Amino acid sequence: MEHVNHIISNKKYLDLRFALVRQIREFFWAAGFVEVDAPTILRLPGQEPYLAPMRVDFHDENRTEFIGYLHTSPEYAMKKMLAAGYEKIFYLGKCFRDQESFGGTHNPEFTMIEWYRAGTDFYALMDDTENLVKKLVENLRMSEWVKELQESLENVWRNLGGNWQRLHMREAWSKYAGVNLDEYLTTEKMFELCVKKGYKPTEGESFDDLFYRIFLNEIEPKLGQEIPTILHHYPTQMAALSRVSPIDPLYAERFEVYAQGVELANAFSELTDGVEQKKRLEEERELRHELGSAVYDVDKEFIEAVSIMPKSAGIALGVDRLIMALLGCKNIDNVLTLPASKLFKE
Amino acid sequence: MSDTSAIRKGAVIRHQNDLYVVTFFQFVNPGKGSAFTKTKMKSLSSGKTMDITYKSSESVDVVQVDYINMQYLYKNGLFYSFMNKDTYETVDVNESVVGDDAKYLKEGLEVIMATYEGNPVAMQLPKKIQYKVVEAPPAVRGDSTSGNVTKEAIMDNGLAVQVPIFIKPDEEILVNTETGDYGGRAGE
Repeated sequence: MEHVNHIISNKKYLDLRFALVRQIREFFWAAGFVEVDAPTILRLPGQEPYLAPMRVDFHDENRTEFIGYLHTSPEYAMKKMLAAGYEKIFYLGKCFRDQESFGGTHNPEFTMIEWYRAGTDFYALMDDTENLVKKLVENLRMSEWVKELQESLENVWRNLGGNWQRLHMREAWSKYAGVNLDEYLTTEKMFELCVKKGYKPTEGESFDDLFYRIFLNEIEPKLGQEIPTILHHYPTQMAALSRVSPIDPLYAERFEVYAQGVELANAFSELTDGVEQKKRLEEERELRHELGSAVYDVDKEFIEAVSIMPKSAGIALGVDRLIMALLGCKNIDNVLTLPASKLFKE
Repeated sequence: MSDTSAIRKGAVIRHQNDLYVVTFFQFVNPGKGSAFTKTKMKSLSSGKTMDITYKSSESVDVVQVDYINMQYLYKNGLFYSFMNKDTYETVDVNESVVGDDAKYLKEGLEVIMATYEGNPVAMQLPKKIQYKVVEAPPAVRGDSTSGNVTKEAIMDNGLAVQVPIFIKPDEEILVNTETGDYGGRAGE
């Protein structure tokens, strides 16, 4: 009865989860977005150096074997749709990531909403995110059957439904780490800063790794605690699939959303330069190789799509985590019908 | 030296010339950057808690501790008294070692105590503990239609647990000590 017991114990959260998922869809439909579909089994998965896609072996009717990977996000398919002329689209569904914890803030399969707007930059997505969360808080307050949770969650809802702050990465470093980040945007300088601050980096560490040593210990723990925070403009070394800021070339147009102590979303003004995209993916492929992770060929179809897609902005938001934040849950398992910890570890 | 996968609740770690016991840890992988493990650790010398974040590839100095089976006896002022099951000695364990898990203790409960140089530093509870329900209000008509499928029940040691509405006083139930949730009827 483990499975039924889990559902009974968490029913109050699950009921709200199902209602919230429906309200998220309604929010985007009302804003004129089209809900789209994306394949979950891909031949060529994303190249993010620190993500591990799950491998799937399957066969056609002649028993010819194919090797695929469950998507870690619907990004490639959605950008191909933008290239084909779609303008405001969202995907709300399952994504999969291997080698992550069962419970806490991760589950091997999780629900993500990813949305794109053609013709805009990432500022429009900041507004979308803030408006979405505020709308969900408003709905929860009006809902009849959350009375039981209402009292204990009042502070959480006041926080999420109140003012949000938008913080430039440079300001975050000056506020919490006491340094002018502009002066440390090379691997050598960042290494020196780590040493000066008492960290013990090893020779040959990448800029990202050095950056995160300081960021994770001095800055990230303070984000989204008192007030939901949109942290924007990442150093260009960490641009991933975002474009470099046209007015401030040290930084790329990427933001993350922190609320209730967790990272909820990651957004970009999308890179639309196929040549640059190919170069970055090849670098990431190289890094995967160095890290001993599985390597995949660069998806040529994706590069071609990026080359012709319009100026766009896109964001991926963890739906389970958003629900956890709204319902004051500390463990993702509480908002999942049957989490991997119950299915595989008991 | 170990890697971050050795970080566990109750593990003892040497960090900047002090020993810390891990009281909380969480794996985080932001996807666009390298994975890390967030920890809360309590200094064994000062009792102060601090937040330390390790990158996944980082090496961690995990100190060897001994694990001793102990049985809970009673609360003794600021201490919790346990019996060492190997030597039958009574061991007084500081409140700070037991922490929030004190609410799960009941006479006779067997736990695993991590000790360093003979001193208890962390307590590990069984994953599930059996309790007798002493108070469970009868289900109210209409509960299940308004979405309520659980109610609060009180266990024989005073612990309050959300249980399904069909649970009655005097039943024996299991409680999951990681989540505090109802874990089924005993013997099911």
